[in-house]
Amino acid sequence: MSKNPLLAHAEVLCGHIHSDNEHCGHTLSDADFIRYSRQVLLPEVGEAGQLQLVDASVVIIGLGGLGQLAAQYLACAGIGRLTLIDMDKVEVSNLPRQLLFNDADIGLNKARVAKQKLNGIAPHCTVTAYETAFNAATSAYHLADILQIKQQGKRVLVLDCTDNFATRQAINRSCIEAALPLVSASIAAFSGQLFAVDQMQFPSGGCYHCIFPAQTRVSQSCSTQGVLGPSVGVMASMQSLVAMKLLLNMDRCDESKSALLGRFWRFDAKSLSWTAAILTRDPHCDVCGPKEVHSSSDKPSKL
Amino acid sequence: MILIHINNVPQPLTEPTSLAAVILAQDIALDSVAIVLNAEVVPRNCWQSILCQHEDKLELFSAVAGG
Repeated sequence: MSKNPLLAHAEVLCGHIHSDNEHCGHTLSDADFIRYSRQVLLPEVGEAGQLQLVDASVVIIGLGGLGQLAAQYLACAGIGRLTLIDMDKVEVSNLPRQLLFNDADIGLNKARVAKQKLNGIAPHCTVTAYETAFNAATSAYHLADILQIKQQGKRVLVLDCTDNFATRQAINRSCIEAALPLVSASIAAFSGQLFAVDQMQFPSGGCYHCIFPAQTRVSQSCSTQGVLGPSVGVMASMQSLVAMKLLLNMDRCDESKSALLGRFWRFDAKSLSWTAAILTRDPHCDVCGPKEVHSSSDKPSKL
Repeated sequence: MILIHINNVPQPLTEPTSLAAVILAQDIALDSVAIVLNAEVVPRNCWQSILCQHEDKLELFSAVAGG
């Protein structure tokens, strides 16, 4: 391919002559080829990568500042299927940073509004909205579709975009139990955190509970501490980037090294600096550690 | 004497000190922070058993849960 980006672009487009039928799983339609050309141009993506995105499914839990932006990036990038989960309604105080919503949406459920808007800006993306809270009781219901899709051998991912510690713990536990890869971002005041874990691909990275056990004291939230919209956007953009790279299999991952999985990044929105650390599995973790298997014969018998 | 750095602030230690003891000496509750030691997260269960070494770099931070 030519090194000149414009020539390369022309070559990519000229080399792509297909019927204009919808993608059939093996090739992109001409319309999609043009729409996603800036992604397809990247050697790391190409037509094969774009088809991987078309074939992928992502669950986004929380449609606040993080989730509403991640949903737009992923839907518009050509991800085939999104599941949006949020019980909250749009409030006027959300509007400075949750740019998918406007005054006319106040009082409406965020997942429902996001689905309607994504249908307009990314019509090829199949969006499902759940207007209920994610917790231990609802997780099986919310994740049933994605688990079925995963069993078909397709790429799946969960994004934690929620605004509280208890839900983050519940999402982590559900993803570990269901062996789903998780990309989690958070932000409050001027501090952001981001990590990616996958028990199947990179178990030595552990899980959220290995970093912050469930009994951790947490005080930081946007509603109590405040936040600037672009700080949220930085974290949501980085989370979306990590998600796309994982779906595109751009993470060089072997037993000991991974550029994305098992990493924990912190962003300081005052100094504009990122700090990365390697995650270490807690061998005694209640969530991702080895489970003791009890069979009925293990129970002490009554004498 | 051992010199360690806690969030980029030098901290001399006169005797072998565990990660847990270092945090408590800072008047920080053990269940309120995570520790990165030389760019690796150290699970809380290991804090009692790891002794600080000369020139160790510790980063202490709390969980951020907003979004």
